[in-house]
Parts: sequence; structure tokens; C-alpha cells
Amino acid sequence: MRASAALPPGVHALFFEPARRRRALEAAMAAHLEAAGFAEVVLPILDYFEPYEPLLPAAARGELYRFVDRDGELLCLRSDFTPLLARLLAPRLAGLALPLRLYYRGDVVRREEERAGRRSEIGQLGAELVGAPGEEAEEEMLRRFLELLDGELPALPEGEGIEVVLGFAGALDRLLLASPDPAGLAAAVARRERGAVRRLGGSPVLLEVVKNGLPAGAAGRAALGEAAAARLERLLELKGDLGRDFPRIHATLDLAEFALHTLDPRLEPAGPAEASGPRAYYDGLVFRAFARGSALPLGGGGRYDRLFSRLGAQVAAVGFSISLDRLPALSGAGGEEAP
Amino acid sequence: MIRLALPKGRNLDVARAAMAAAGIGLSGLDRADGAGRALRTALPEEGLEILSLKDWDVPLYVEHGVADFGVVGSDVLGELGGDLLIPARFTAGRSRFSLLGRGPALPPPGAEVRLATKYPVTARRLLEGRPFAAEIVTLSGSVELAPVLALADLALDIVQSGRTLAENGLVELESVAEVAACLVVNRASFQRHRARLNEWIDRLEAVEAVS
Repeated sequence: MRASAALPPGVHALFFEPARRRRALEAAMAAHLEAAGFAEVVLPILDYFEPYEPLLPAAARGELYRFVDRDGELLCLRSDFTPLLARLLAPRLAGLALPLRLYYRGDVVRREEERAGRRSEIGQLGAELVGAPGEEAEEEMLRRFLELLDGELPALPEGEGIEVVLGFAGALDRLLLASPDPAGLAAAVARRERGAVRRLGGSPVLLEVVKNGLPAGAAGRAALGEAAAARLERLLELKGDLGRDFPRIHATLDLAEFALHTLDPRLEPAGPAEASGPRAYYDGLVFRAFARGSALPLGGGGRYDRLFSRLGAQVAAVGFSISLDRLPALSGAGGEEAP
Repeated sequence: MIRLALPKGRNLDVARAAMAAAGIGLSGLDRADGAGRALRTALPEEGLEILSLKDWDVPLYVEHGVADFGVVGSDVLGELGGDLLIPARFTAGRSRFSLLGRGPALPPPGAEVRLATKYPVTARRLLEGRPFAAEIVTLSGSVELAPVLALADLALDIVQSGRTLAENGLVELESVAEVAACLVVNRASFQRHRARLNEWIDRLEAVEAVS
């Protein structure tokens, strides 16, 4: 019998040079995080399904590989490090000195449609800062994220860079709630669909956000509400600082990009629209990075205190993850070669 | 340089007519029309490169950032999904997804029927919550023939004038969704080329070529 070397759709083996490059990159990123005071955690790939059912939106639950164990327990493969780590930390927090700076690396497995660029097994490296409230903690983690990506830039072709989009959860809630269909309006804003935004009662300020990512002028910012407007001002300052500190990374502030990250329960999508919703746990700063030629984000992160709260622990948390296979140094045919 | 993925066929005509009406320069493409079957056309004066693609390939090229912007039918988008921005839908050439049959009405509650379509994903979504159950039969074309020859009880297909239906003795039982040519944009390209894109859409909106 001749053995087949075929693998299921969406998974790949790395041999020799691509494997060496992947491990070298992981090691460099891990060393960077260790130097910044982060400690590694090693997390299991197999877990119970039950704890995740109330934590994840329908789309994310649908991505899980689930199966029944021999004793009848419903198990799942690791699809996202953040909820797994939060679930394991929540009951242990009372005995731990906060803040915790943790990082992890390994694969997550998600059921993906078979199409170019979509993988079912994704190598990730990420970091979490647990027990540090406030915007300083968010900025620290955003800067760590950018530092790791900045190390990637020599691999990019001349003239191409990384786009990092910043926003914050709940920024548009006040504008969205003016519509009779606020969840539908949020989805239209996220797609930048101007016509649908108008049909669903979106205000001129919201249309400005759809077009340019931000409301125009002081009156436009005031329409977001006092807290959101103040947050936006501080984020604009931070964007300016990041432009100076990371000249090779193009940071943009865009509230429409994160229109689906809402804080008001009335904005949570119901029914089929939920199938396209994001992982809904972010409730503060949110960020996402893209490179040209990558169908999907290189990585992203944000504040997710709400996730811990749903697990019964009142603690602040900010984190990010980077999808290693999508990084320019590892993506493309060279990253997938097998002999 | 912006890469624009244009489809072949009717949606190309819709997009070009709309862009011409809005004064968006694709004149270089007009000049290149006689140049044969080039799949890539550089329009340096307009800062554009045009990719000539099949409708069904446009979303993949744009999602991957190979093309920055594209034009594709909402019928294709509904079937393929993908993480794309859809800032505008062209107003011209709109058609509709309809449920077709030999008539005179939709199946009664509790019925189990067979439905033929080129769009199985869309069919599942549009039939969700209906009081009848449908087994979906995926065909690659001539969908109207399936109910005529009793391969299926119903068909879900795009209807424009309804002439094909009349010629084949079919009835449009229900119009279920509008189909339009859409301008689609890659997420990262939106950030990079926002000013140019907004200018295009403003001009298209001004002549009511998109909504």
C-alpha cells in the first residue's frame, strides 16, 4: 500500500526552512515579550465545550470542532486562546499577585470554509495583561503589539507597510441607538454601506464616520456622547505619538471599523445577523492590523474586562494575538512548502 | 496605483456607464477596448490598473488585496461571503431573486418540495423560517428548466424582465431579494485609498448612479 501525504483542507505541514523560519520568529517574539516581563503559559488544546457556549457569539461557536468523549462529555479543540486563558485564570485570581503579564504560543483550530487563504489551523502568539485597569494598560499592550509587528517589516516589499486600525468598543452606540434597527445599522456601518446607513436612519454624523472613520469637527464628536468624545480625543493624541514612535506602521483611527463592538445590549445582533458578528468580548480599546495581500488581519486585540465579568471575576484585562502564518515573513508559497 | 477588478458582462456595462456618468475617468479603458484580450490594463493617467475577471473571482481578488476595489453582483457576494466592504450598490441594471414554479402559489405549510438553484447558500438563507421544507438541488445553469421538466417543484433564480419565465410557462411566485452590482473594497485598501474612494462614491451619488 502506498501512503498518501494528503492533509485535510486548511491544514499544512512545515518542513525544513519554513519550519525553521516559523520557530525562529516565534522565539524572537517570545524573547521580546520575556524581556518586557511577560511569562509564558502553556495551554491545553483539548477542553470542555460547555464553558464557552455562553461566552462566544453564534459564528464563533460554529467554528469550534466539537465531539463527544467516551464518557459522554462534549469536548472542543482550542479555537481562541483568550477565553481559555480567562476561564482558567478567573477562579485562580484571588491567589495571584496582579497585574499578570502572560504570553502564549500555539495553534488554534477553527472550522473554516475551504477557500484560498483560509486555514483551519492557525499558529498564534499572543499576550495578555490582567489586572491593570485604565488606558495606560491598553496603550502598553498596543505598543507591545506594534513592536512585534515592527520587527516584521524588513520582510515587506519596498513601499508596503502595515496598516493598524484603532477604535474603541461602544464609540458609536449613541448614534446607532437612534435607529429603529440599531443592530442592522451597526452591521451597515461596519460594511460601510452608505445607502443602507441612510435607509436605517443613520445621522449625518454617522455617515461622516462611515466615510472617514471619524466624526467631523467638535459638534460631530459631541454627538458621540461626552465619554466617547473624550475617549476619542485621547486616542487621537495616542495615534500622533504612535506615528512618531513607529514611523513604518501606518496607524488610522476608524470608529466604523469596530461598529459591531458595542456595549449596549440593545445593539447585540439577534438571528441570522449574529452569524457574521465578531468575537464580542472587547469592551475598550480595539485594534486590528493588516498587510497588503493578506485576506485576513495579521492580528489584533483590545480590552476585554467583560469576558472576565461573564466568568464571575471582576478584573481588568487587555490582550492581543498575532496569526503567525499570516505574517509576511511566513506567508505565501514559501511558508507552505513540503518536500 | 489602485487596482480595480472589473467583471465581464452585464455588471461591467453597469459599472462603466455609471462611472462615465459620474465623470470618473476610465477613458484609458475605452481606448484599450480594441487592444485584444488583455487581462490587465494599466491606466497610468488615472492611477489605475484594471483587472478583467470573471464575476465569481472578483470577491477573492479583492478580499486578498490583490485588487483594491472591485465590482461584483450581490448574487455572487451572497453566495461566496468573504470579508469585504460594500460602500455602494449601483442603481442601474437591478434585478431580483425570485421563487419560480409552475404555479399558482407557494407550497402549503408542511409541504416537502425540491428547489433548483445556482445559489444554494442564498437559497438556504432566504428559505429560513418558511413553513415548507425544501431539498436544494444545485444546478450550474438553465435553472428554469428544472420545474418545467419536474426535476424540481420550485426554482430560485434571478429575474430581470420575466420574459424567460413567460416563454417557459413559469410563474414568479414571490420576489425575495433585490440583486445589484456592488462596489466592493478590501479593508486595508479602504484605509489606504479612502480619499479616492470617497471622491468616487460622492460623484456616483451625485448622479444617483449608486444608492
